[in-house]
Amino acid sequence: MSLEQLNAIKFEEIIYDNLESCLVIFSRKDCHVCKEVVPLLEELQPNYLGKFGFYYVDVEEDKNLYQRFSLKGVPQILFFKEGEYQAKLVGAVDEDKVIDKIDEVLES
Amino acid sequence: MGDLKYDLIIIGGGPAGLTAAIYGGRAKLRTLVINKGTVGGLVNTTREIVNYPGYAQISGPDLMKDFKKHADSFGVEFSRDEVVSVNFSQEDKIICTKKRKEYMAKAVIIACGSEPRLLNIPGEKRLQGSGVAYCATCDAEFFEGEDVVVVGSGDQAIEEGMYITKFARKVTVIVLHDEGVLDCNKVSAERAFQNEKMEFVWNSTLEEVLGESNVEGVKIKNLKTGRSSELACQGVFFFVGMIPSTHFLKESGIGMDSRGYIPANDLMKTDLEGVYAVGDNRVKYLRQVVSAAGDGATAAVAAERYIEELNAFNTSVLKNDKQVLLLFFNALNNESLEFSTLIEEANQELSEPYKVVKIDTATKKNLAQKYDVKIVPSVVVLDRGQEIKRLDYSMDKEKLKAQLR
Ligand SMILES: Cc1cc2nc3c(=O)[nH]c(=O)nc-3n(C[C@H](O)[C@H](O)[C@H](O)COP(=O)(O)OP(=O)(O)OC[C@H]3O[C@@H](n4cnc5c(N)ncnc54)[C@H](O)[C@@H]3O)c2cc1C
Repeated sequence: MSLEQLNAIKFEEIIYDNLESCLVIFSRKDCHVCKEVVPLLEELQPNYLGKFGFYYVDVEEDKNLYQRFSLKGVPQILFFKEGEYQAKLVGAVDEDKVIDKIDEVLES
Repeated sequence: MGDLKYDLIIIGGGPAGLTAAIYGGRAKLRTLVINKGTVGGLVNTTREIVNYPGYAQISGPDLMKDFKKHADSFGVEFSRDEVVSVNFSQEDKIICTKKRKEYMAKAVIIACGSEPRLLNIPGEKRLQGSGVAYCATCDAEFFEGEDVVVVGSGDQAIEEGMYITKFARKVTVIVLHDEGVLDCNKVSAERAFQNEKMEFVWNSTLEEVLGESNVEGVKIKNLKTGRSSELACQGVFFFVGMIPSTHFLKESGIGMDSRGYIPANDLMKTDLEGVYAVGDNRVKYLRQVVSAAGDGATAAVAAERYIEELNAFNTSVLKNDKQVLLLFFNALNNESLEFSTLIEEANQELSEPYKVVKIDTATKKNLAQKYDVKIVPSVVVLDRGQEIKRLDYSMDKEKLKAQLR
């Protein structure tokens, strides 16, 4: 299942209006490390339906979003809960790291 | 677990692994490629390839899509998974993955390439993604109008450094060598020296990456004077060479050099029977796509022959209705040649109660090992694959016949 892509408006809505617990991967099309991490999130997503959201931001299409979080590279996975930024994972992460981080965010 | 048994398993899906897969699939071997990440390997990081025959210019990912499609057309199977451990001590080789699968293969080709070396200096890990980067294609754009430091002076460092100048205000390259000496090719060096945005710091290395939550600067150590200095910057790209991705093989007993590269002969054979090493992870002179592909082809053909011999042995020896005399000899040893003639004669004179299978220990080390044969000539008597006895060596035909009755 592919990840839902967010633009700036959708981003506001989901993170700050709906206060969803979720992760957002900042990625770009021609980045090979992103191409390794995105499928891994796609595989994990179904295990968290209704519990934890999985979203995607393309940094080329939505520059203002990565600038807002002053990101310096892709891929980066940002975690949110109750409208607040919680943590991030950078670079070539594996499944276990993502699962641990989700648990951490859900339990906090 | 029958569906996890393959003729040939290839670890790694870069150009070396994909070429081996094309040859394996075409030879009708049941072939599986296990690859972590995107199929295509390191080539996916290359924006432009201009030295692969037949393609004057193509992007790395596009070239790899063609390789993959070609392998698909021969029925090769793919699994996106990471091999975490192996057991190569038996004839059936066992491969365990991160997704907790256990595969078996008659032959294995190791094509896992290499990965960027880390300098392991303070701040490098902590600031990854916050200014520390390893891929210009991915991250150069984040440094629009900023100051960037590049560490290293090989082809990759200089070419990626020049790409970064498209975005950054200034790129400072930290070079180990004396002024004017770069490790990269001459064409790139000349271009770099002419690039107004490129600056060089000679005889130096990086000691530390500085910054709280983002990179704010670096500490540079001059190797001649021993003195350290600080340079403000917002980004650091590391291109300090590659290390082979062979760590998961450490326990397997396969031979490696001190840096982790696997030595292989001109058939790509390693020191383990039925195990081959191809591409960037083996000891070799040229690490490029075309040479990786060449390795893959050689190994797959060698593996095919090996599997053929293995199968032939299994049908002619292990499943034979007759009892089998496994005669271990050495073609360079006269005594063992004479002995082998004598055995054949004795068997004929008894109207062939046995099938005689001759094994040259110089080329079939694995069989000598399997039957624990240490001297030639030796004869092992098998009944449906089970050893029932060994003959005592003698050049007296009657004594031999007595043992065969
Ligand atoms: C920046 C750069 C530019 C280059 N430019 C060129 C060029 O212009 N022309 C050229 O010919 N060559 C070029 N090269 C070299 C070329 O990319 C390599 O020689 C080639 O990719 C080697 O192929 P390989 O199949 O041996 O390994 P790789 O391409 O490294 O592939 C290995 C694969 O194995 C996978 N793997 C590793 N460990 C495991 C494991 N445990 N389990 C499962 N899978 C695993 C990896 O994820 C990877 O997909 C360049 C290299 C770099 C870094």
